[in-house]
Amino acid sequence: MNRNGVTIDETFAEAFPMKATRILITAHNLEWARHAAVAATGFATSVIACGCEAGIEREIPASETPDGRPGMAVLIFAMSGKELAKQIERRVGQCVLTCPTTAVYAGIDEGEAVALGKNLRFFGDGWQMAKMIAGKRYWRVPVMDGEFVAEETTAVVKGVGGGNLLLLARDTDAALAAAEAAVAAMKKLPNVIMPFPGGVVRSGSKVGSKYPALGASTNDAFCPSLVGLVKKTELTSETRCVMEIVIDGLTEADVGAAMRVGMEAGIALGAAQGLLRISAGNYGGKLGPFHFHLHKLLAGGAA
Amino acid sequence: MSGFTLTLKATPALRLDLRGLTPGALAALGAAEVEKLPVGHGNALEPLAEFFTVAARSDDTLLLQGELSRCDFIGWQMDGGTLIADGAVGDYAGGAMKAGTLSVKGRAAELAACEMAGGTLTIEGDVGDFAASALPGSMDGMRGGTLLVRGNAGARFGDRMRRGTALIFGDAGDFLASRLVAGTIALAGRAGAHVGYGMRRGSIVFAGPAPEVSASFVPAVAAAPVFWQLLSRDLARHGGAFGSLASRGFDRHLGDVAAGGKGELIVVR
Repeated sequence: MNRNGVTIDETFAEAFPMKATRILITAHNLEWARHAAVAATGFATSVIACGCEAGIEREIPASETPDGRPGMAVLIFAMSGKELAKQIERRVGQCVLTCPTTAVYAGIDEGEAVALGKNLRFFGDGWQMAKMIAGKRYWRVPVMDGEFVAEETTAVVKGVGGGNLLLLARDTDAALAAAEAAVAAMKKLPNVIMPFPGGVVRSGSKVGSKYPALGASTNDAFCPSLVGLVKKTELTSETRCVMEIVIDGLTEADVGAAMRVGMEAGIALGAAQGLLRISAGNYGGKLGPFHFHLHKLLAGGAA
Repeated sequence: MSGFTLTLKATPALRLDLRGLTPGALAALGAAEVEKLPVGHGNALEPLAEFFTVAARSDDTLLLQGELSRCDFIGWQMDGGTLIADGAVGDYAGGAMKAGTLSVKGRAAELAACEMAGGTLTIEGDVGDFAASALPGSMDGMRGGTLLVRGNAGARFGDRMRRGTALIFGDAGDFLASRLVAGTIALAGRAGAHVGYGMRRGSIVFAGPAPEVSASFVPAVAAAPVFWQLLSRDLARHGGAFGSLASRGFDRHLGDVAAGGKGELIVVR
């Protein structure tokens, strides 16, 4: 398949089930809500070593938040509910509780409840107070700028992690431009995050390594510096720079939609802007239950 | 459908104890069985048909009609459904109710909503003393649900209340929220003496005239704007004097420090 000079591989992205939650952080103004959200989603690019994958989903206008202040919606994904609960507690405890003027609420109501303010309340050293309002339990923890209000729990749902696109471009400028355009388009959609820096990862990985201790290693087939050296390369002298975008979403449809708009944004730039090929990463289809076929996505069909 | 209209034939000679007459309990019964249900009359148990006429309804509502002011324990421990008492009722209305909707169209006497744990109880008239409080001798009062009093409340409203939300659209008597353990009480009208006497935690919102605050409360230095938005927006759905709370300023008084308390009196400006 070729669109606007861009070759779309007949392949698919392979994605995995994850556990996910959304939390809503509000603050005195958007600036401070963003500080908390950025900190809470820091060092959360990959579950390989971060414990979770997290990102800012969107800004929430004051008119839509529980307390009438501007806020940020954050999505957090982990491989198990237990790990997710641990990450929520650490991140909210260290990055939201600590951030001036913030409050934190569950962003999802339906699902298994895990602690949000439930354990952080003990910071109050006995001065904390619970409050039931409209069927939800909140904790009020005294802090130096007043009080930190946190909903007791947030809900965990099943999510989909590891949707991805590989953008093969003529050079660094073209690859970055295509990736930035794709991420910008994806960010407009709800229920998805792109956890890597700026949404983009340049160190795509394959399963396994020559070193037994490592479970993953550099995706040599897509490394331009190894063309001619490795047994099998995906690159040519035309495609000299590759960027990957990883997408985590609350549902399979959300990830598929993000991949579609990302591809469309890249195609809009086209070969004229240096994007030559779009591919995706998979493991032969045996590891992950979710397969996102690029051709089907572009045809508007289901993944 | 499974609803009934029970009409009191005449004012009973003694107090009637109507515990057990809940929408859930009656839903599975036919009219003839309902007529045989035992009802306490003084110290005797007599069939319900001695006092009430029973008529099946086309909906699921249990409706009590007549001069009910000698009928106690209406909606006692009810766990769902809709019960309407079409007039003034006796003591313990909605006591220990767990769920469902109980509507009293007139006045409720003493101990209404005592130890209420869930559901919604609306009293269109006044309530007597010790509403939303504990049963005599019990440690905890109202512990959940929503109580709406459209009229005035007597003394000791919310005594030992632990959780839930109680709103009074009229005035409240003395010792409002005495020994409050936690929960929310909101008052639209005037409060009597000694508000929050011995309260431990919880919030009392004064949407109308400022009450006389005991010296055992301390003025709060810090505002609580986030909490106030959450609470006031929830109270606003009940309308009346509570409808505009979110946009109004307030002062807080913390206590009752005489009892080691850290509750709050929220006096809306």
